[in-house]
Amino acid sequence: MKNNLKVERAIHNLTQEELAQKVSVSRQTIHAIETNKYVPSTILSLKIAHIFNKPLEEIFTLEETD
Amino acid sequence: MSQKMLLPNGFKKVGWFFLVPSAVLGFIRMISDLEQRLSLKTKVFALYNGEFLSSEKQFGVINTDITNTVIGTVFILGALMIGFSKEKKEDEFIANLRLSSLLWAVWVNYILLLLSFIFIYGTGFLSVMIYNMFTVMIIFIGRFNFILFKNKMSSPNEK
Repeated sequence: MKNNLKVERAIHNLTQEELAQKVSVSRQTIHAIETNKYVPSTILSLKIAHIFNKPLEEIFTLEETD
Repeated sequence: MSQKMLLPNGFKKVGWFFLVPSAVLGFIRMISDLEQRLSLKTKVFALYNGEFLSSEKQFGVINTDITNTVIGTVFILGALMIGFSKEKKEDEFIANLRLSSLLWAVWVNYILLLLSFIFIYGTGFLSVMIYNMFTVMIIFIGRFNFILFKNKMSSPNEK
């Protein structure tokens, strides 16, 4: 699964730490998602989408291997 | 996203105070012959006691050296507290790391045990059995904390 978390973060001018606090996870988790090391749960994905005020599919997209 | 079956974060520190001294003492006891000098003979309740060349006993009070019992108990309690306490910020990513580390530890432990089964015989195998009582937790704690540490190091706070 791909994501454009980094871009969205830049648009909203949020650091990893700030976003992490908003969705109550650790900063490492945000970093792991951005570097595609970790696929977030549905709950966390929805929370992130909610922060950026966008539908889920605009932030997270399926890859061919998924 | 609550994590069930985990102790509060504070237990982690307590765990290290349990684990380190008991690991050091236990290891010294394994490699040297402290058995004669360091012994805590006392009366304890035993569900079962079978001694070499003597009759076995069930549900009774016996007089025995409890050094190993104490060291082992403290070690296991310490290992459980370290391994199964929440991190300061316990989230789903950490929970995922924890579970994958546990799987990894069980794999490594049983591969090592299998190799020991095949290649180590006699009294040496007795030592293997003693170490093996503790290695799953040791490997798990080592792997989990190593990955956590690596993650912390490789994730600068980006804008």
